[in-house]
Amino acid sequence: MRILDLAFKDLSQILRDWKSGLFLLVMPLLFTLFFGFVMGSASAPKPDVDPRLPVGVIDQDGGSLAMNLKTLLENSEVVRPVVLDEKDANQLNQMVEDGDLAALVIIPAGYTTQLLADQPGMLEVIVNQSQPAGQTASRALETVTGRLLGAVEAAHISKSANQQINVQDSLGKAIAAWEAPALTVSVEKATGNTTQNEQITSSSGYAQASAGMMVQFSIFGLITSAMVLVLERKSRTLQRLLSSPIQRVEVIAGHVLAMFCIVFAQQLILVFVGQFVFGVDYARQPLAILLMITVLSLWAASLGLLISAISRKEDQVITLSLVAMFIFAALGGAWFPLEVAGKTFAAIGHVMPTAWAMDGFQNILMRGLAFPSVLMPAGILLAYALAFFGLAVWRFRFE
Amino acid sequence: MNFIDVAVKDLKRVFRSVFALIMMFGAPLLIAGLLYFAFGGLASGNGSFTLARTRVVIANLDQISPSASSFKAGDMLIKFLRNEDLTDIVELTMAPDEASARSAVDRQQADVALIIPANFTQAALTPGQNAAVLLYQDPTLTIGPGIVKDLVNHFMDGFSGAKIAAKVTNAAAQASGSGTDPSLSAWAAQQYATYLESSSHAAALHITAPSGSAEQTASGLAMIGPIMAGMMIFFVFFMGANGAESIIREHEEGTLSRLFTTPASAITILGGKFMGVFVTLVIQTTVLLAASALIFHISWGEPLSVVLATFGLIVAATGFGVMLMSFIKSTRQTGPILGGVLTLTGMLGGLITNGIPNIPAVMDKIALTMPQGWAMHTWKLTLAGSGAGAIMLPVMVLVILGALFFTVGLMLFRRRFI
Repeated sequence: MRILDLAFKDLSQILRDWKSGLFLLVMPLLFTLFFGFVMGSASAPKPDVDPRLPVGVIDQDGGSLAMNLKTLLENSEVVRPVVLDEKDANQLNQMVEDGDLAALVIIPAGYTTQLLADQPGMLEVIVNQSQPAGQTASRALETVTGRLLGAVEAAHISKSANQQINVQDSLGKAIAAWEAPALTVSVEKATGNTTQNEQITSSSGYAQASAGMMVQFSIFGLITSAMVLVLERKSRTLQRLLSSPIQRVEVIAGHVLAMFCIVFAQQLILVFVGQFVFGVDYARQPLAILLMITVLSLWAASLGLLISAISRKEDQVITLSLVAMFIFAALGGAWFPLEVAGKTFAAIGHVMPTAWAMDGFQNILMRGLAFPSVLMPAGILLAYALAFFGLAVWRFRFE
Repeated sequence: MNFIDVAVKDLKRVFRSVFALIMMFGAPLLIAGLLYFAFGGLASGNGSFTLARTRVVIANLDQISPSASSFKAGDMLIKFLRNEDLTDIVELTMAPDEASARSAVDRQQADVALIIPANFTQAALTPGQNAAVLLYQDPTLTIGPGIVKDLVNHFMDGFSGAKIAAKVTNAAAQASGSGTDPSLSAWAAQQYATYLESSSHAAALHITAPSGSAEQTASGLAMIGPIMAGMMIFFVFFMGANGAESIIREHEEGTLSRLFTTPASAITILGGKFMGVFVTLVIQTTVLLAASALIFHISWGEPLSVVLATFGLIVAATGFGVMLMSFIKSTRQTGPILGGVLTLTGMLGGLITNGIPNIPAVMDKIALTMPQGWAMHTWKLTLAGSGAGAIMLPVMVLVILGALFFTVGLMLFRRRFI
């Protein structure tokens, strides 16, 4: 009962402070909206817009192979040709630099003549390979060029077999044949346990942003609740509490319970807004989501207790909360999927409790898996919560 | 007492605060460092960017008819993926059937399942027959499955090309009245295979970076400059406002009223306070520029441009901070107002979206409605090596905005305290 009284006191103290609303709800919602919009707009297909990457083509050659190259680019699933007049080189460079073009291909004069004479020819490609679009365009251009050269070789082979034939005819047939190659790759995204009637409806931009910001701000939201404990220690309220019949363990439990309730309520509201405002389908596995937010709240409360156990002043609470937020959120994949990070970073990131929280949410939201898929992430997160709690209790001082 | 005494006193207070030091230097370097670690050369230790290996589970359902030779296209594809050049890219395991392969992806034991169909060899060898290899992938992944798709496509284009060569050669023979000859098809396919073994498709492209340099900058190093600039701008604006908060704090503590009883004029006192903020930001920016150049090897651009961009940033941040604080009633409000307003304007100013590809174009326009957006624009130009002339316009905008904010803030402060 004393534990509940203490927790209730903390809760009313935290909720009376209008700053709590800002850190717990306004900021995560703002960030989710912003990143969901930015990432969603970047990845979502738009009706009436060719989704393929634009590749500028400058034809200085004017020969048949230049025409065939443009045909193969037209047929590509990844890139589309944008035929350009030769302009100022700096302007074209800038178009690639600004991302208006994923790459620029210059077909040099004499390209057709050289290749048809069985001599090596080379296309000039300007591309920013530090950008994903540039890397994708480069790979697509390698495929298209490979097919063009393959068609030239097929024409040469047919000419070797029969000297009377016209190379251009064979070349045209080979290029046409590449429209439907014999062996192809089809891609299917895993949908886990979903049936045809239950499709994953979450947009990937908001699914990453919503789950990521829930994880990130579960830590940031601790500022106000951890602050309560530090202020109690500073004002010697904790010491005075010990003169009452309440036990030390009850004091700690009361404060942790308040932290847990705050983060849990925050997570519930963020899930609710995510579901109904951002269209993230949390409701498809409600029990699994409930389990995940429960263990995430437990871990965050343990971290909050640890921060308040270590901090001596208010400044330290803010600093430690911010540092914890940056490190756990970035390394755990709350800002960007760990897949896109380097090998070492991804390996370290997967050790973080936040990475397991993200795994649990993504199993439901993006992989379409069912309740059992969150058991392992939840179990690991719970183990982290116990470890952090143990550490916090060990470091906790009443004076 | 002159304004320098006031400035020195404020500077001492700032540089003795651990919180201020962390927000000035620790936080921007920590965030940029984390992102550098994620995308930069530290990941591999040798300056190159290395992604984690993609785990591929293969279900080889390829069957050959008894009449066919021992040639198996499916086995060839697996052998190609097992090539030692690809061991750093893909990690292969085998599954007995399609269901097991799919299940491995569902259970996250594999990133991609590669399912080779039963008619793969038949389609590779028989004219008119087609086959499709299926890639069943984890939906949260994009890069790894994309690489596997490219590799498989590259391999299969060899077979498709050989079939096209055979088809074209046979068509030419028919057109010249020689009729269909199966041995001619086999010969053409063999010739094509010889061509593939001898040629290098990568060499058919001469790739250069947009700047014209043939050297490609590593992905992480290319993006770390704008990311660091974004973090620097955010925390310089933060410290600008945090420094101006000392007026409110001194007012609450009663020391501001006492200062006004001294012979020093109000203008001297307020001027000293703003001088303290300005010097703090100069030190902060200088340290961040130098530290990031040393740690992340960022080349910030031409010295004169860097000086101008720094000046514009500090004037704008000081003015913005003064104005922001002039609206605040007590220090209890500073944290949330500071955090909320600066986060919102920083977001809209494009400070935290550097490195995210394909951002909607409208965001660039919105960014220039914020002082942080102009600061980011200035530093991007500086990082791109622009000269003083090219960055003069955004620097002027920053200075004008800073002066405007400063004037508004000063007027409000004067009305409240003097």
